[in-house]
Amino acid sequence: MDAFGMGLVAAMGALATVAGASEDIDSDIGSQSNPNSQVQLAAQVGNPHRIYNKAIAGEPPSNALWCTTAAIMAYVLIEGYHMPLLFAAAAGASLAALFDGVMSVSAYLGRNASQARFNQWIYLDILRYTTPSIMAHVWITSFCIVLISIIQVYVLTPHHPFPIPVIALVWGLTVGAIGSSVGDIHYGGEREFQWRLFGQGLNTMLSGQIVRKAEAGLRNSIDNAWFCAKFGGPCTGMGFGLTVFLDNWRTTVFDPLTQATAAIAMGIFFVIVMNLYNFYCELSARRKYGPYPGYKGDIAA
Amino acid sequence: MNFDANTIIYLLEIIIGGLLVGVGVHFVPVGGAPAAMAQATGIGTGTVQLAAGSGLTGLLSAGLMMHAMSLSPTFAQDGYSIWPILLTGAVGAMIMMDATMLTGSWIYAYAVGAPFASAKVNYDPITMFSQPPYVAPGTVGQGIPTICFVSGTIGAAMGGIGGAMIYFPLVLINHNPAMSAVFAIGIFFVDAVLASWNIQGTIEGFHDPKFKKWPKAFKACLVSTAILALVAVLITPLVGGV
Repeated sequence: MDAFGMGLVAAMGALATVAGASEDIDSDIGSQSNPNSQVQLAAQVGNPHRIYNKAIAGEPPSNALWCTTAAIMAYVLIEGYHMPLLFAAAAGASLAALFDGVMSVSAYLGRNASQARFNQWIYLDILRYTTPSIMAHVWITSFCIVLISIIQVYVLTPHHPFPIPVIALVWGLTVGAIGSSVGDIHYGGEREFQWRLFGQGLNTMLSGQIVRKAEAGLRNSIDNAWFCAKFGGPCTGMGFGLTVFLDNWRTTVFDPLTQATAAIAMGIFFVIVMNLYNFYCELSARRKYGPYPGYKGDIAA
Repeated sequence: MNFDANTIIYLLEIIIGGLLVGVGVHFVPVGGAPAAMAQATGIGTGTVQLAAGSGLTGLLSAGLMMHAMSLSPTFAQDGYSIWPILLTGAVGAMIMMDATMLTGSWIYAYAVGAPFASAKVNYDPITMFSQPPYVAPGTVGQGIPTICFVSGTIGAAMGGIGGAMIYFPLVLINHNPAMSAVFAIGIFFVDAVLASWNIQGTIEGFHDPKFKKWPKAFKACLVSTAILALVAVLITPLVGGV
């Protein structure tokens, strides 16, 4: 274990936390992934809205695409033109953001145009000021992930054998999977249905009845980003940051060659701790919210 | 490379890895889009994407471990040892899956405000907590109860071992980590998608009645992985390795 390696792992954890948070907020602004089903359904059940609607692909494949695009450009600039690492990462991220902008615009126009029969309009002002925010968040995500890949391949010892684009592909898939499993709950379960009864799951009858009014005026996607940046984004960042940090910490503190058993045992210890923590969360949620008041079955709570 | 006894061992390793991925996906508690709206138990995303996210994180750890072994001064005599590679792949995948489920649980418990409950069993087999009184009407459970969390951890471990087991022989064949990783990712996705069709997209874990359908996915994965393994093993001598 050396101090430099530990510092690098800490930096990777911090970059991963930022990448996770910005990935989730990007998907919340664009209503990508799971909550998109409700945004899509809203107009069909008579609730036209001013919320951005892009579902380019599931979050993991689309983020894998942005991160790999950025990483390929960075790889070419580093290996072919000997550019500085930071500049190469920034240039790659800009290319990824441009790709995302093109696909977001076509997704928004295509989806809303196909819902014209449900009285859903295409709002050009929404398109104009929401698309740059989406692109900016994609830029942050891909920049951070390309930097993590660069650290793993060029700086951290032992150097990772995979090239930068393959590592960026895997981390992009992972950050998308975490954003889709963690951050989406805050947007889909909480922000879209704020007037349901608190302390229970969401009744299927409410599907499509999303909140369309904001704290002031009509709600748009920037309002959703403001709300989700308070908890959903940081939680996603924490999930991805924990993954990157804990996984690399154990192979940096313990030499993977001579202390492989200790590295594996440390990983299993983390897993057990997380299992126990989830049990604590379950216990506290059951105690706090209690059983459903109208329950008529014969199984005691 | 000649087609010898080693080749058959490589083929078998890739096939076993694919089967582990296929069966492991059945353990991962995924509820799809309804789970993201607190309408169903499990993690609110697609089966394949979550399994791939965790399995491939394990693949990164396994790749690093295998590379570290090759740097050893005694590597020429010792060669690779498969167990640390497989186990580190499993641990990497478990860490990713558990971090995801744990942070998801924070949002269920402290933001959406839903008690964790499974709609498939009356009592959680591990904690013995009663489930139906906590299931709100119009939903099929919410959150990630302990049984689902444990099941997800097991599934991630199987996915991680499977991914590493596909990657390990490929590196021995073509000596190119990047190409092996991409091939392993491809085989991983094929098996995860087959298993996902078998459970129709959502499952709660090994306590779910749908879990009993795993032999069908097992057979499908066996056939598909056998074909892919043959291609993976033969493509290097046919096309030429690096």
